[in-house]
Amino acid sequence: MRSRVLVAALAVVALGVVAATASASGNRVQAKTLTVWLQVDAQSGWPDVVAAADQQFQTDHPGWTVNVQYQNWGDHLQKFDATLAGGNTPDVIEMGNTEMTKYMAAGAFADITSSKSKFANSSTWLKGLAASGQFGGKVFGVPYYAGSRVVTYRTDLYKKAGIAKLPTSLAAFTADAQKLATKNAKVKGFSPVYSAGTDWYFAMAFVYDFGGSIAKTHAGKWVGNLDSKQSVAGLTAWKNFYKATSKAPATSDENHPAPYDVYSQGQAGSIIGPGWFSCCVGKTYSAVTAQFVMPSHTAGQAMPGFLGGSDLAVPAPSGNQSQAVDWIADFTNTASEKALQAKGNIPNATNLLGTSVNERAAARSWFVPAAKHWVDVENGNILRNMLTQILTGKLSVLQAASSASDNITSVLNGS
Amino acid sequence: MSARTARRTLWNAVGVLLFVVMVFPVYWMVSTAFKPDQQVNSLTPTWFSVHPTLAHFGDAIHKPFFWVDVKNSLIVVSVTVVVSMTLAFLAAVALAKYRFTGRKLFIVLVIGVQMLPGAGLIIPLYVVLAKYHQVNVLSGVIITYLTAVLPFSVWTLRGFIIGIPKDLEEAAMVDGSTRIGAFVKILLPLVAPGLVATSVFAFISTWNEYIFARTLLNDGSKQTLTVWLSYFLGTSRHTDWGALMAASTLTAIPVVIFFLLVQRKIAFGLTAGAVRG
Amino acid sequence: MPGIAAETTARWSRRLPRTWGRLARGSVPYLLVLPVVVVMGTVLGYPIYSLVRISLEKYGLFELIRHQGEYIGLHNFGLILHDTVFWHTLLRTVVFTIANVGLVIGLGTLLALLLVRVSTLVRILLTAGLVLVWSMPQVVAVQVWYWMTNFQNGVVNYVLTELHVGDYFQHDWYATTFSQLSLVTALIVWEGLPFVAITVYAALSQVPADLVEAAEIDGAKPWRIFFDITVPIVKPVLLILTSLSILWDFGVFTQPFLLIGQAHLHPGNYLMGVYLYEEGYLKTDFGRGAAISILMLLIVAAMSVVYVRRMVKIGDVD
Repeated sequence: MRSRVLVAALAVVALGVVAATASASGNRVQAKTLTVWLQVDAQSGWPDVVAAADQQFQTDHPGWTVNVQYQNWGDHLQKFDATLAGGNTPDVIEMGNTEMTKYMAAGAFADITSSKSKFANSSTWLKGLAASGQFGGKVFGVPYYAGSRVVTYRTDLYKKAGIAKLPTSLAAFTADAQKLATKNAKVKGFSPVYSAGTDWYFAMAFVYDFGGSIAKTHAGKWVGNLDSKQSVAGLTAWKNFYKATSKAPATSDENHPAPYDVYSQGQAGSIIGPGWFSCCVGKTYSAVTAQFVMPSHTAGQAMPGFLGGSDLAVPAPSGNQSQAVDWIADFTNTASEKALQAKGNIPNATNLLGTSVNERAAARSWFVPAAKHWVDVENGNILRNMLTQILTGKLSVLQAASSASDNITSVLNGS
Repeated sequence: MSARTARRTLWNAVGVLLFVVMVFPVYWMVSTAFKPDQQVNSLTPTWFSVHPTLAHFGDAIHKPFFWVDVKNSLIVVSVTVVVSMTLAFLAAVALAKYRFTGRKLFIVLVIGVQMLPGAGLIIPLYVVLAKYHQVNVLSGVIITYLTAVLPFSVWTLRGFIIGIPKDLEEAAMVDGSTRIGAFVKILLPLVAPGLVATSVFAFISTWNEYIFARTLLNDGSKQTLTVWLSYFLGTSRHTDWGALMAASTLTAIPVVIFFLLVQRKIAFGLTAGAVRG
Repeated sequence: MPGIAAETTARWSRRLPRTWGRLARGSVPYLLVLPVVVVMGTVLGYPIYSLVRISLEKYGLFELIRHQGEYIGLHNFGLILHDTVFWHTLLRTVVFTIANVGLVIGLGTLLALLLVRVSTLVRILLTAGLVLVWSMPQVVAVQVWYWMTNFQNGVVNYVLTELHVGDYFQHDWYATTFSQLSLVTALIVWEGLPFVAITVYAALSQVPADLVEAAEIDGAKPWRIFFDITVPIVKPVLLILTSLSILWDFGVFTQPFLLIGQAHLHPGNYLMGVYLYEEGYLKTDFGRGAAISILMLLIVAAMSVVYVRRMVKIGDVD
């Protein structure tokens, strides 16, 4: 009995070792493989676009194969750091546009300025997105796609509340929200416009709408600007709008719970978020869902929306830089961008823009300071904490903004 | 006798209540896997779906690389468990039964290694494994897992070996056998429950390990099931919760099967008389 | 072993010669230990050296890409030890560790004792439950716990309100640091119970039935049997579980990071594992990360030295 167990165990080990090393022999680096890191969004959202680009590349480069390895947003940077330290960096990597500056400043990417003309529509790249891929006057990242923020709303609830025409100013929107609140007072926990307490993407839109900003450069140094008059006015307007329209706790963030879940539970008349939210509002209400652009406090204008998005870059240690550039060119050509647009994304160039709500919202946009330590401000939750302090009344708007501003100044300047 | 029966019934009731409370999150995971989408995140909880669906399981299985990654996980975990239990048992015998120079040093090494935060080791480990082409291959992951599993296995098995009453060992000993042969032949069955418990722990922690697997394995075809599972959550878009719960349920099955195979050794039925309450 | 067990042992040992328990000369122990040393040495040798070296260097993303750090001596350590966040986090983590270890060992042992006392069917049910809990992937367990406790539609709020414990409609369990860390504790204890309960149960099953019977025949009371026979056998395992739990709970990262969520982490609710990740790796200040790792190693060594010493003493061959 015991010897049988022993033999079985040895067999397992032997088989395992054979299997493990058999896969090793397949791993010997082939000179003609291009390694591409894209996020899983592409795997589930537009695998056909990826396949088309691979096909195009392989046709133009006989003997080459493309190996696309999918990454998670949560840990792709830690993986990238490991490869930068130990080798095997990919040849192409997708980076979030807010993640670029830090890595460009550290010299992680190859300078592809001279290849700029190879990329389709590069002369009309979306300004905000293109800027995220540039550092010190050189181009390191190619805009991939963008997304803005819109209002997704219940057409039936708006109709019942007597909102005949969609609001075109913040004041009108607030009044409409009041109508929604009154009409739906019996639904416990109902938010006319659900937004999370620490949704800084939404709150900062108000800041920029009033002419303020998060930070400015002055004599080569960064200075936090949230305590300026305009910024404070924006934050106050946000606080008032939030208090009138959202029942989310002051500490909630925009991912927990997902606003579209709140919507699908019938707990929201409208939600603020990316355009693709309409995919996930649930069967019950998908027929009565539409979108409109968040209005500015100035009538007739759109509130600047945060231009999220991704860039594609070539890591500096890559040994296949010209092939990498070619693949990126194939993946961001006009046909690909149009395909991405059809899936609800904003394409990377102004001449490709259509008239969907998402794209109209991108006409007026804001972006984070292009500082290499910006990600530390985000990771340190400085803006989120400020918003919670404002909402709970722990600090006045000016106090919270000043303290956050000082914090941002010291973090951005690297101390 | 009736007092004893009453006490046993009380304990049974406590046991069942504990079971219900403890297993509730697992129940929630499995039941969500069968719920249609609108019930997954409904405002009031759906305890039991009246219209269960298998769609999520289909979505999970059809996600790229599922079967390959199942195979990879099975290979990695079984090799790790078999090798680590063997090596750990031998080392534990040495620690528990012999006095030799460097024994204290070895103990310090075994314990000290477990005190290192894993986060600090990820990048240097990647660098050293990359140098020997052990990145993106299962053998690299196996070696890493051995390093992670051996220390506590040695430490825990030592505890079990020490716990065996001396007279039991002596009573079971046979004259004329070699010392080490005696150790193995005699100690092994006595320490079997401990060995099994430790191997279950080794199995589960390597089966569910994520951080090193995702750092060391890049190709979808080389990854383990936990990395495959993480892709459900790694998107910045809509997360398919139903499919994730179905995928998680599938991921948990091999662990349960493994335990069912070895549980008899943890003296299930035969302890009825070992300790009187 | 004192008391009854000693008498029983004496009776047995008079029957058989003592050929064990002597100093083992020769290379046998070294050969037994060699494979473990080789595996761990080859894999961890460079990483540990690298960790120590980097902790003495300025080593950020810039240096990582160039594979070259700048030697700055103990500057990283100095910065950390002068950081009030470090000390507050340390205190918080020590309290957290004590609470977690106490709960998991205490409840786990009680569970193991319960397993012995219930009927076979309930025992199988409970053990199956423990294994199901144990088999849940950690990331998924966190997600399910989050679902159960989230303010919008969490089951916990629903059940508490339905049971008229109070109005918990959309109660935010993550509003305060204490609440957040209590939830993390509950999650970690829940995840840790199976290992402790099953391991202690395995240890309890090593208590030989005939030894207990012999003692009972000699007329010993149940509690004397427990303390004289059961406890000495189970004690080494309990000490090991305690020392392991201290190690793991002190450096815990995944559960607080995922359950509280990166968006809600701030110096006021940091635990050491999270602090290490945020200050070292999110900020790509690898030198600092290495220094924090080494400090954590020293601290946890100090915390567990008492248990380890006792373990080593118990196991000393005489």
